[in-house]
Amino acid sequence: MSLRSVLVIGSGPIIIGQAAEFDYAGVQACRALREESLRVILVNSNPATIMTDPEIADVVYLEPLTVESLEQIIAIERPDALLPTLGGQTGLNLAVELDDAGVLERYHVALLGTPVATIKLAEDRELFKKKMLEIGQPVPLSAIVTEIDEGLRFAEIHGYPLVVRPAYTLGGTGGGVVHDERSLRETLHSGLSASLIGQCLLETSLLGWKEVEYEVLRDGANNCIVVCNMENIDPVGVHTGDSIVVAPSQTLSDAEYQMLRTASIDVIRALDVQGGCNIQFALHPERSEYAIIEVNPRVSRSSALASKATGYPIAKISAKIALGQTLDAIANPVTGVTTAAYEPTLDYVVVKMPRWPFDKFPLADTVLGTQMKSTGEAMGIGRTFASSFMKALRGLDLKRETLTGGAYESWTLDELDAVIVRPTHERLFAVCERLRRATDRRACAQEIHERSSIDHFWLSEFLELLEIEERLRVDASDEAITAALLAGYSRLAIASLVGHRIDGSSSSAQPAFRMVDTAAAEFPAKSPYYYLSRGEADEMRKPTKDAVVVVGSGPIRIGQGIEFDYSCVHAAWALRDAGCSPVVINNNPETVSTDFDVSDVLVFEPPGADEVEAAYRATNARGVMLAFGGQTAINLASELHARGVTIIGSDRAALDMAEDREQFDAALSRLGVARPEGKAARSFRQARVISRELGFPVLVRPSFVLGGRGMEIIYNEGQLASYAESAAPIQDDAPLLVDKYLRGLEVEVDAVYDGTDILIPGIFEHLERAGIHSGDSISVYPAPSIDAAMEKRIVDVTTAIARELGIRGLINIQFVIHKGALYIIEANPRASRTVPIIQKATGINIVAAATRIALGERLATMEYGVGLARKAPYSVVKLPVFSFAKMRGVETILGPEMKSTGEVLGIDATFEGALRKAFIASGLRLKPAGSRILVSISDQEKPDAVPILARYVALGHRMVATGGTRDMLEANGIVCEPIKKISDGSPHVLDAIRGREVDLVINDAQGPRELSDGYRIRRAAVEAGIACLTSLDTARAFVTSLEAQATPPKSLQAYQASLRAVAAS
Amino acid sequence: MNHRAALFLADGSRFDGLGLATEGIALGEAVFFTGMTGYEEALTDPSYAGQLLTFTYPMIGNYGISGSAAQYRRICAAGTIVKHLAFEPSHHASTMSLPAYLDEQHVLAMHDVDTRALTIALREHGTIWAALAVGETALAQAEERLTAFVRTAHTRDLVPSVAPKASSVVGTDGGPRVTLIDCGVKRAILRDLSALGAHITVLPYDADAQEILATSPAAVVISPGPGDPMDLLQTQETLKQLIGKVPLFGVCLGHQILALACGAKTYKLPYGHRGGNHPVKDLVRNDVLVTAHNHGYAVDAATLPDDLEATMVNLNDGTNEGFRHRRLPIAAVQFHPEASPGPYDARSIFAQWFEVAGLLAAHS
Repeated sequence: MSLRSVLVIGSGPIIIGQAAEFDYAGVQACRALREESLRVILVNSNPATIMTDPEIADVVYLEPLTVESLEQIIAIERPDALLPTLGGQTGLNLAVELDDAGVLERYHVALLGTPVATIKLAEDRELFKKKMLEIGQPVPLSAIVTEIDEGLRFAEIHGYPLVVRPAYTLGGTGGGVVHDERSLRETLHSGLSASLIGQCLLETSLLGWKEVEYEVLRDGANNCIVVCNMENIDPVGVHTGDSIVVAPSQTLSDAEYQMLRTASIDVIRALDVQGGCNIQFALHPERSEYAIIEVNPRVSRSSALASKATGYPIAKISAKIALGQTLDAIANPVTGVTTAAYEPTLDYVVVKMPRWPFDKFPLADTVLGTQMKSTGEAMGIGRTFASSFMKALRGLDLKRETLTGGAYESWTLDELDAVIVRPTHERLFAVCERLRRATDRRACAQEIHERSSIDHFWLSEFLELLEIEERLRVDASDEAITAALLAGYSRLAIASLVGHRIDGSSSSAQPAFRMVDTAAAEFPAKSPYYYLSRGEADEMRKPTKDAVVVVGSGPIRIGQGIEFDYSCVHAAWALRDAGCSPVVINNNPETVSTDFDVSDVLVFEPPGADEVEAAYRATNARGVMLAFGGQTAINLASELHARGVTIIGSDRAALDMAEDREQFDAALSRLGVARPEGKAARSFRQARVISRELGFPVLVRPSFVLGGRGMEIIYNEGQLASYAESAAPIQDDAPLLVDKYLRGLEVEVDAVYDGTDILIPGIFEHLERAGIHSGDSISVYPAPSIDAAMEKRIVDVTTAIARELGIRGLINIQFVIHKGALYIIEANPRASRTVPIIQKATGINIVAAATRIALGERLATMEYGVGLARKAPYSVVKLPVFSFAKMRGVETILGPEMKSTGEVLGIDATFEGALRKAFIASGLRLKPAGSRILVSISDQEKPDAVPILARYVALGHRMVATGGTRDMLEANGIVCEPIKKISDGSPHVLDAIRGREVDLVINDAQGPRELSDGYRIRRAAVEAGIACLTSLDTARAFVTSLEAQATPPKSLQAYQASLRAVAAS
Repeated sequence: MNHRAALFLADGSRFDGLGLATEGIALGEAVFFTGMTGYEEALTDPSYAGQLLTFTYPMIGNYGISGSAAQYRRICAAGTIVKHLAFEPSHHASTMSLPAYLDEQHVLAMHDVDTRALTIALREHGTIWAALAVGETALAQAEERLTAFVRTAHTRDLVPSVAPKASSVVGTDGGPRVTLIDCGVKRAILRDLSALGAHITVLPYDADAQEILATSPAAVVISPGPGDPMDLLQTQETLKQLIGKVPLFGVCLGHQILALACGAKTYKLPYGHRGGNHPVKDLVRNDVLVTAHNHGYAVDAATLPDDLEATMVNLNDGTNEGFRHRRLPIAAVQFHPEASPGPYDARSIFAQWFEVAGLLAAHS
């Protein structure tokens, strides 16, 4: 069959476990397909991705990833084939569903790459186990049990420890590792009742074995190569996404390395995988015995890591393999001379560390286990393990660059030991602190090894780093500092240890750029992919054109996600279009920005001052752009300025003014722009006085924090008292800010300013009233409730603020409209989370405009226009997506602190239709009628709630409520089933949720109610996989979406063309 | 410990680092090995005799020395150069650290060196004579010694330095009789042949045809070994006499000598192939094998006589990786099917040869 068009399915919104790596894979795949002159049709609901840019695919659909919508798209586009293995588990599952539903057959769509049978086999534990045993590959022994006695018999035969995995529960509820009969009985008891189908899987435990992964590629002619192997520092028991991972393996002998390599190839052949495949092994630490833990027959987070670790583009080659090409016929994109049938060899070490969201969620269960909890990761490349390890650590942007020091020094030995045995995100620091305190460090390392199974190799490396840190605390000699620089410490880290600023570095520790070439220098490479070493030869090929450094945003975390990578990539492209050489510096292995195709020079390093300065000097760059890399990049402004690095675009002064509240307030009062009234409190007593003056509700937040940490809306003195109890004490230099909370309509603009003209592509309106973090709100473009006069006011104020701050490039401003007046909440002198969305919604590339302004161009001479752009003749709705199921214990109620991990977009002719698509894309749905909705509404919201809930009832749904809410509903003529409160005894609300007797929970509560009934209800809903809406505004939006009709799928290109037609008319 | 050390290349360049307890000067050809594991196997591989072995992978010695991975009774490399040396290895099979092993055998080593810069120099210049000097006295004399060495340096003594003086027997009594011409064989080859049930008679590289035929071989295997195949004219002559009389199989140096005996020519590669990631296309089966390499010379495929057909080609640089005779049971590969160190993709080659020689059928 001759192929002309291929449908590619993306992975949808970013959730924990499925992040930016699929944007990287998707972009590579689309490029590879287009290189073969194929028409690429792409579907993904995630607007923050590069892959959904109209430039990446011939046709882009920002539509829900459901069988229904995909079938409609297939009917419109009639693709010849479908490539499912690049969209994560979502893509794979959809391909299987489309196949099962007969859609592929009906429309004669061929499935490229790995066959459906393989996908199913890898997913089904029993089938997979059977297949592995068939080809002689060891798998952990397991049995499915439905009764406790069956489990006890299994344990009698196979011994302890055992892993209990209840079937069909989210987040591994009720499961765990058991070491004896008593705990097996208990865990089986809870596991069997937590399981929807009363089943548990019992598995012999590989706890404490080394965890090793192989990334393998196979083509249709049965040729196989191993791209990379990786070894986890955390032994089996911690999800690989939550483990510190090292590439290549460090403690495997050649015989072990080759044994697992051969096993990988045997497995990929037996499964008939065509393309990339990830295989996870457990390797016994005392004998060369192994077992296969898991196989992922697709590109994955690990394959993105392996691609960045080696330079070998797995997704791109996988796409070519799916088209039927063989490895020996595909050119090697790194060397240009060899073929893709080549196993990379490294002459450096790579370390990946996870980034967890626990800093934002004090109540979260931080114990690491089989359920992944991290949101992102940082990778370090260095010539030694130590230097790559330290780069990964400081690349996490934890405001901590050393292994020792800080809060851990005050932990007791018992506290440290507890974390060493039962790992949390703090285990690494606990291990180092434990070692630091020990008088006999070798004996201590032995103890740690016995308790954690962490290999001695890593512990010895940690000890060496500890010694470097300890020496610096007492010895600030050039020699000590040089040793630390060579071991991967930054000047900032060293300064924190020696207690004074470090300027420059000695001649034997000068920064030197080394190349990632897949070949350990055996062949000259073409790829401009570099990392930094110190005290070695420099290999940087200076760009021949004007270089400009784009500083990236580091690991993905809540509040600083893939959106910033999107802006960095567009900045790099715009630089290239403008005839400059983009130099990108970033350390996130998942992203498109760290694909060496994106820039002329890729520097894979943490975006810190040392590295940015080195990249700037090594490339003779004209300047550094900080505005695209989120807060991480902005924070570098003053340090870079102090080092004489030129910042282009908005300069340090502009960045400072926006960051400094007093300076910013002064600027606002000069302009006569209002902001909510507020004061700084130096004690909680003072906070109470201020709150009384302003009148409740008030918004409180600690100063000098980002992303809304510790920010809350307080409705009364009681809440203020409980806030004071749970919040950190107020420090003298960091007062608590108390602002009048204005309950109004929140709007947000992204604008670009060149000193004369402003360009605002559009205004977003938030559906939830002010007080919910903009990242967690549903936002709509064009803003439905803003009239022309208010639009003008927004444009005027935005222009005035941009001028006053001295912005040259992007600015993001959030406003609240309260009783007809416009107040400013905050202004950010940088790219924001909404930039990719407004670019998708309007087709106006404000990142390119900002980049060109930084290079000295004016908006007036560009093609984007000035002022407020024409409104689109369609509606765009952004909906946040949360990963609450993966964050046990976290309060799900929305507030000023951001909690979402990703977002989806709905585009339709009408607002209601767009809303409908966005809700469907987010995965939130309800039966057409007859659903039971558990409602609980706070007193102050009750009047507003009635008409909204009545609309659900009108659609045929039924209300279930306790006491007050039920009285309120009945009083308003809404029939409502009664249900008992928790305190009234079983069967109560929690039982109904756990029994899945309700289909939706609307639980509106004001202010923090953690550990209250409301909290327990919300958490129970998450654990049971039942959607829970925590704001009436969201409930209103949802019912609107249920009532609405959406139009058939339409491509982004078609939508944007309709806007261009309007603008031209 | 931690004497100053340096590697002096014959082109005048110098790379500085730190030595171990052993002081002195080692002279040889500077080469690099790109495998990420297998330092014990590599250092003890007789084919590295006379060479100063640089590891491109920077963390060497992590899992210690097991003893069981060794390919020869001692370290064969003339010296070694690494970026980071592990003094505290961790592995259940480790019996001592790599630095202790090197010192125990008085083999010179240098660590804390920019091995990537050295590798690039070797890639650009080609493999080159060099002196590794550890300790102040050695450093002072190294350049002079290197100049003298370069004037007379040759590879002729390398095979005799690692080949056995007398014959020996390994493997299964009563199994198919295989005679191995030992130019510096690795233990892994004997292990793999034994695993196929062979009864192996190991003869020195200079055994003549009569001695070889006297062992009543069902097949003769010519082993790998160090140096230039053109140094072993006598072995070449011996093989010429055996052609047509007994199935002949060659590995690495054995592949080259067998090619020469059949009338082909060999040449020196600019910087050789040493590593475990070389893709080789099997032209007969039409698939790709990832293979272990350790050779500085190659067979010129263009000079293969009509009787021989190329069966394998290197996908990186197009060099010949294997041939077979069109009529006779004669075949050879340039790479190492026995791996150790390296991948096992080509492990079935020995069994294929046994099949060609009719040994598998005879045995089973």
